[in-house]
Amino acid sequence: MGDTPRRMKIKFSVPSDPRYLCVVRGAIGSLSALIGWDESECRAIVLAVDEALTNVIRHAYHNRTDRLMELECEESADGLEITLLDNGDAADRSKICTREIGCDQPGGLGTHIIKTVMDRVAYEESPEGNRFVASKQFRKTT
Amino acid sequence: MKISIRDVGAAKVVEVEGEVDLGSSPDLRRILFEILPTVRKLALNLGAIRYIDSSGIAILIEVLKQSQRLKNEFVLFGLSPAVQEVFRLTHVVRIFQVFPTEQEALETS
Repeated sequence: MGDTPRRMKIKFSVPSDPRYLCVVRGAIGSLSALIGWDESECRAIVLAVDEALTNVIRHAYHNRTDRLMELECEESADGLEITLLDNGDAADRSKICTREIGCDQPGGLGTHIIKTVMDRVAYEESPEGNRFVASKQFRKTT
Repeated sequence: MKISIRDVGAAKVVEVEGEVDLGSSPDLRRILFEILPTVRKLALNLGAIRYIDSSGIAILIEVLKQSQRLKNEFVLFGLSPAVQEVFRLTHVVRIFQVFPTEQEALETS
């Protein structure tokens, strides 16, 4: 028997229809709580993942509801890793921007949330499509 | 998401319950934009919101800006923990008038 711990990995194949988002939110919230984050942090992680999916629906698939998003959420040795794949239009990296604090314009909120919540965020183009990768490290507080 | 509306004097109080996300936020936007020109003050109760994403926050900002153009009031009260979390992450709380209770939200002008 090896000592390597088994870790949770959830794979979703999510239609690009907003009515499925609540299913993903429920699972991510439960996984985040199981890893050890508190209620506030779990809410933030759920929000960041939801914002990533929402960005794909809006910007890659232009609100079409008949496309697919492949989401993987994996418990890692030190936290959580998220990978999201889509086959829509590639993100224009020059337009992926965050907001200024206190800004009263509605745009860029989702990207700002993702970058604030997650420790590492990357947008890549791959043979399988557009790939969004993010991770968050679990830090114990005593 | 459930939305209910009631008259309180010259104001309308809009109660939102449940989850505000990409799927439900257009309904919230439509209702708030319909009500806004008809009242002196629109007070939005955010106490029963279990989830709100950036599309919901963007709508609140849009409504606020429209209220400024119309020179009427748009105020928020009873922020749930989910709303407080998103406001904290996006730093938008400072642009809104936010009150703990409905009474306080309706008293100020």
